[in-house]
Amino acid sequence: MTAVSIERVLLLALATFLVAVPWLVPAMVNDFWVSVVAEILIWSLLAASVNLLFGYIGLLSFGQALYFGFGMYGVAIGVDAFHLSFWPAFALGVVAAMAMALVTGIFAVRLTWHYFAIITVVFSLIFYFLALSNKWLTGGDDGINFTLPPTFDTFGFHHSFTDPTFQYFFILAVAALCLLVMYRLVASPLGKAFLAIRDNDVRASLIGLNVYLLRLTAFVMAGFLAGVAGALFAFFGRYASATYMFYHVSGEAVVWAIVGGAGTLLGPLVGTALFIIVREVVSTHWEHHSLIVGVVAILVVIVAPRGVIGIWDDWMARLAAGGDDAPSGAIELRTEP
Amino acid sequence: MDKFFLLAMNGLIWGLIIALIALGLAIIFGLLDIINLAHGDFFMVGTVLAWATIQSTGSFWLAFLVAPLIGFILGALIQRIVIQPIRNVAALSIVATFGLSLILQETVRITYGPTPGRILPPIPGTLRMFSVDYDIYRLFAAAMALLAISGFFLFLKYTQLGTWMRAVRHDRDTAIAMGIPAGRVYVLTFAIGFALAALGGVVAAPITTVDFRGGVDILPFCFMAVIIGGLGNLPGTAAAAVLLAFLEGIIQSIADPTIARIASLVLMSAVLLLRPQGLFQGLAR
Amino acid sequence: MTEPVLRTENLTKRFGGLAAVNDLSFSLASARLHAIIGPNGAGKTTLFNLVSGLVTPDNGRVFFHGHEITGLKPHRISRLGVKRTLQIKSVFPRLSVAENLWITVRGGRGFLNPFRFAASDRATAEKVDRTLTQIGLAPLAHRQAGTLSYGDVALLEIGMAVISEPRLLLLDEPTCGMSPAETSRAVEKIRELARSIDIVIIEHDMEVVFEIAHDITVMAQGGILASGSPREIAADERVREAYLGREEDEDYVEEAAHASA
Repeated sequence: MTAVSIERVLLLALATFLVAVPWLVPAMVNDFWVSVVAEILIWSLLAASVNLLFGYIGLLSFGQALYFGFGMYGVAIGVDAFHLSFWPAFALGVVAAMAMALVTGIFAVRLTWHYFAIITVVFSLIFYFLALSNKWLTGGDDGINFTLPPTFDTFGFHHSFTDPTFQYFFILAVAALCLLVMYRLVASPLGKAFLAIRDNDVRASLIGLNVYLLRLTAFVMAGFLAGVAGALFAFFGRYASATYMFYHVSGEAVVWAIVGGAGTLLGPLVGTALFIIVREVVSTHWEHHSLIVGVVAILVVIVAPRGVIGIWDDWMARLAAGGDDAPSGAIELRTEP
Repeated sequence: MDKFFLLAMNGLIWGLIIALIALGLAIIFGLLDIINLAHGDFFMVGTVLAWATIQSTGSFWLAFLVAPLIGFILGALIQRIVIQPIRNVAALSIVATFGLSLILQETVRITYGPTPGRILPPIPGTLRMFSVDYDIYRLFAAAMALLAISGFFLFLKYTQLGTWMRAVRHDRDTAIAMGIPAGRVYVLTFAIGFALAALGGVVAAPITTVDFRGGVDILPFCFMAVIIGGLGNLPGTAAAAVLLAFLEGIIQSIADPTIARIASLVLMSAVLLLRPQGLFQGLAR
Repeated sequence: MTEPVLRTENLTKRFGGLAAVNDLSFSLASARLHAIIGPNGAGKTTLFNLVSGLVTPDNGRVFFHGHEITGLKPHRISRLGVKRTLQIKSVFPRLSVAENLWITVRGGRGFLNPFRFAASDRATAEKVDRTLTQIGLAPLAHRQAGTLSYGDVALLEIGMAVISEPRLLLLDEPTCGMSPAETSRAVEKIRELARSIDIVIIEHDMEVVFEIAHDITVMAQGGILASGSPREIAADERVREAYLGREEDEDYVEEAAHASA
């Protein structure tokens, strides 16, 4: 069996599993875990937004929760205050997140390395505090609860998130679509340009790439992914709260992305799944699962910075190349700005 | 007017305490190039150690010795076990310190418990100042912080380790070429950084709560002081901390405390984007 | 008189108190291979940085084919046709050799389409294949560039310089760190390129310089010490004093002085 065929089989198995979840999972465990898988898919998009920036263009953002928050509040406020129906609210959330990413990105992307990470945290803190103090709009920490509008309500075709199976498939469809977009992006000329900038931004500018503009583009795309995650989350929980804009949320998404494998397509999903499953399993017996997150984060950085899928990719490459001529496994992160 | 004086004084005193903590962050960030997301938790550990010292020995004053010492040891251990091995993936140090922060918070939550506690000020009583009864301990805390900060600057200027630290900060490669043991300097820098934060925790413990989340608020403030003061500019960091806290205190007397915090954060963003060397260039040595 | 390919006017760049490039006025005629030599710290790489836009001058101007490029961003200058290599060999380590060449072509022009597959760009793929054969790296096409030997990285850099169809090529110490065999391979390639491209090369290897350069400029302390043909430079007393003090170089200087230009 070649490496490629092994991967194809596994991917097929994963896809089949995901499609069968609403029937398979209640049979294996219980109904509750169907919504856990749905949550994993939602949060994996936030991890994917971190991954797009860090793994593909070399910028480590610690503030993606800001755009998640805008997606989330776009939906919540859209439904609750403006009485929008599902799709307009969804659009509002995603557009708000992307607009925010554009506005903050114009400034943030001028910085690199540590300063970029710091300013992403600062921006997210500013809006976190704004959200906290404007309780009339955001409900602060307590948040906003709203009634869920139906997703489809035309010509007798009525479906809404109140149906857990429909909810799951909608979320799965959106997540799969985003994954497909990422897949196309990485293989596209734009994606190659991103990778070049990640590897060597000075060289990239010398071959004619407008590094600033390309970084900004990636930043807005990452804002899109985080915004979609936030919007889905709002519909999923019928709820929005400022606590989800705090930098801890951003930080956890970073850990998921790194553990899953930065710079890989399935890394975010794997990383998120790992942590959320552990959280759900552990928290029924012990409430200190954050300790596990912290320990794993440190261990992975020290021992396996390529992450699960990163290491898998290295194995597969070695298999494909027949043992020698394998690409170096070491993650090539510059140690100097 | 009374409220104004109270908040302004509180701000000034907090500023001195934060300056102490922020100096710890400044040397870690400036020398080791690490964004230490756990620094607020180092402070928090200091408050917990103060509480623990009182519980076991009944003496608060002993905490002034115990907390920085334990902080120093913990810092050295963390540098060797966590920071040192990841110097090849420096960009991920922020992830490691984030993990560290989670570990510290949860460990404290497990051992100390989730409910915030208080420590009674060891020096009770108030002093009449400007028609306001001001806590004597707060004045004492300010004096302690000032003493510690001065001590730290003297240490940097007159001891061998201090000189080594300044040399490595100024020019890493030349310092190594001159035979300065950089590895040892890094360990000691991280250890001192933790110790300074822990000392700040002890000083602050009687005027704040002992709570596993106590570091969360301190962290952004420290980073503000370091950035606005200027990376690598230690006097600038201290000055920025005092000034920011003082200004926030004043703003709090007329507006929502969150507004004050937002204003500081906006200022920090402006500095990052427009004057990354900080606003206190004149104080840099 | 035709406009020189590259011209600087009173170009100055200071770092701290030191002028790395000091009031430099310099002109490069076309269809020549021009070598810039000089001791360390003479300002050679800073000059390249100024021309390619990585650094903005404190004073003075730079003209490329009569078109002012002072202060333009590096990617703009690159798109005008000025390409350079860096002193420390620098490619895109996690991309494959072929991808390195591919992105060099597409980076320099046109729209980076996020909706197509990069592999579908047949024209670029053909160019990449041709260049791979040209520089002799075809068997390594799919290797990660970061795993290549130093000499192969240097060749890849030259390949990237060539494939971008430069109007002016700035090579910063292209043979630095190469073995003698690798050096002669590189020199051959550079000589070939010089037939169709204007090239400026910074070099420390005197053998290479005197072998291929049509003109030599000697820089010292941010300014031009001397400029002329290899024979003139070899015979120049000031140059010998300031720079060619080394035994090994003496031989080449002698050879060049006796060789016909």
